[in-house]
Amino acid sequence: MRPAVTVALFALVWLAVSGSFTIPNLLLGLAAGALSLWLIRGHIRPDGRRFRPLKVLSLAVLFIKELALSAWKVAVLVASPKMALKPGIFAFPLTVDRDFEITLLANLITLTPGTLSVDVSEDRKVLYVHALDCSDPAGARRDIANGFERKIMEAFR
Amino acid sequence: MGAATILSAASTLALALMCVAFFLTAWRVIRGPTLPDRIVALDMLVAIAIGFIAVIAIRTGFNLYIDIAIALGLVGFLATVAFARFVLSHGMADEGEEPAASPARPARGKGRRKGRVR
Amino acid sequence: MLDIVLALIVAVMLVSGGIFVFLAALGIVRLPDVYTRMHAASKAGTVGSGLMLFAAGIHALDIAIFMRAFAGFVFFVLTAPVAAHLLARAAHKAGYRLARVSAVDEMRDAERRDAKKR
Repeated sequence: MRPAVTVALFALVWLAVSGSFTIPNLLLGLAAGALSLWLIRGHIRPDGRRFRPLKVLSLAVLFIKELALSAWKVAVLVASPKMALKPGIFAFPLTVDRDFEITLLANLITLTPGTLSVDVSEDRKVLYVHALDCSDPAGARRDIANGFERKIMEAFR
Repeated sequence: MGAATILSAASTLALALMCVAFFLTAWRVIRGPTLPDRIVALDMLVAIAIGFIAVIAIRTGFNLYIDIAIALGLVGFLATVAFARFVLSHGMADEGEEPAASPARPARGKGRRKGRVR
Repeated sequence: MLDIVLALIVAVMLVSGGIFVFLAALGIVRLPDVYTRMHAASKAGTVGSGLMLFAAGIHALDIAIFMRAFAGFVFFVLTAPVAAHLLARAAHKAGYRLARVSAVDEMRDAERRDAKKR
């Protein structure tokens, strides 16, 4: 994203959080956004990332749906008198390679029912995922690769 | 049955549920047995406190409480991140009583940590 | 009429939020190790307190306050996985092991392989 777009986005968030939609407040939001972007200027690299709003929206919908589903699953598991647990950590080979995409994938995995991302290997090729039910690691790997990873590739490539 | 009655009943029920949740989580903070367990429980306590504040905001109609809840969420997140850094740098020292750890494991952990600390 | 419907929506959100928070706390007490407890705290706990904050935003009937509550909700949902991930990573690197019932730990296996190679 271009810096101007990012600053405009920050200003919108500022308006939402501060709750007063006035011109001076908008200017203040723009200034705060520009300042915060300037403060971290050394840490962001511009990259030719494509950005498809509709796909991002569908990703956001998926995010909310999965969060609700996973909270429900955990709640049911905890409420059942005899918890059927077989936890473990399995390795998931990553296809996405940019920091931003790995972060997004890791966040999405954490919100999926019964899985929680623990670590990324130093060469950024493997994501370690903790699962509440780790009796079928191969199936879990397939689900993630066909679900979230493909969605992310569709939205940002 | 008016709107006020419904709201009052629902918020009382929510407060009662959260009160129980608060004590359960506090038991985990006291009990441990490891430092990360306590951190997870403390994080959960922050979430419960946010819930409490939201219910109080509804009961009193004092909307400024929502800002307080957001600020508490920010502080809670930063605290958890800081605790995670602490666990990472501190390692498993003082955890000799942890039942799941085999005797060989802490020693190996220490050896690796030496290489990692800059 | 409208205020009754609104009160019902808020009441349902409050009670379900309370139930989620309560179950998250129960999970923190019942589950066997740090990693599984994190599942309960970061999912059910976040959804629970987020729902309550959302309910408070709806109850206020003011677009500015609703936006604020919504921003807080989004913030919690985005930060909870990050906090859980950081803590899980720190705990695993520090050497805290999974509970006995666990099936596999491919991360520890990989670390062992690396250690052998060096």
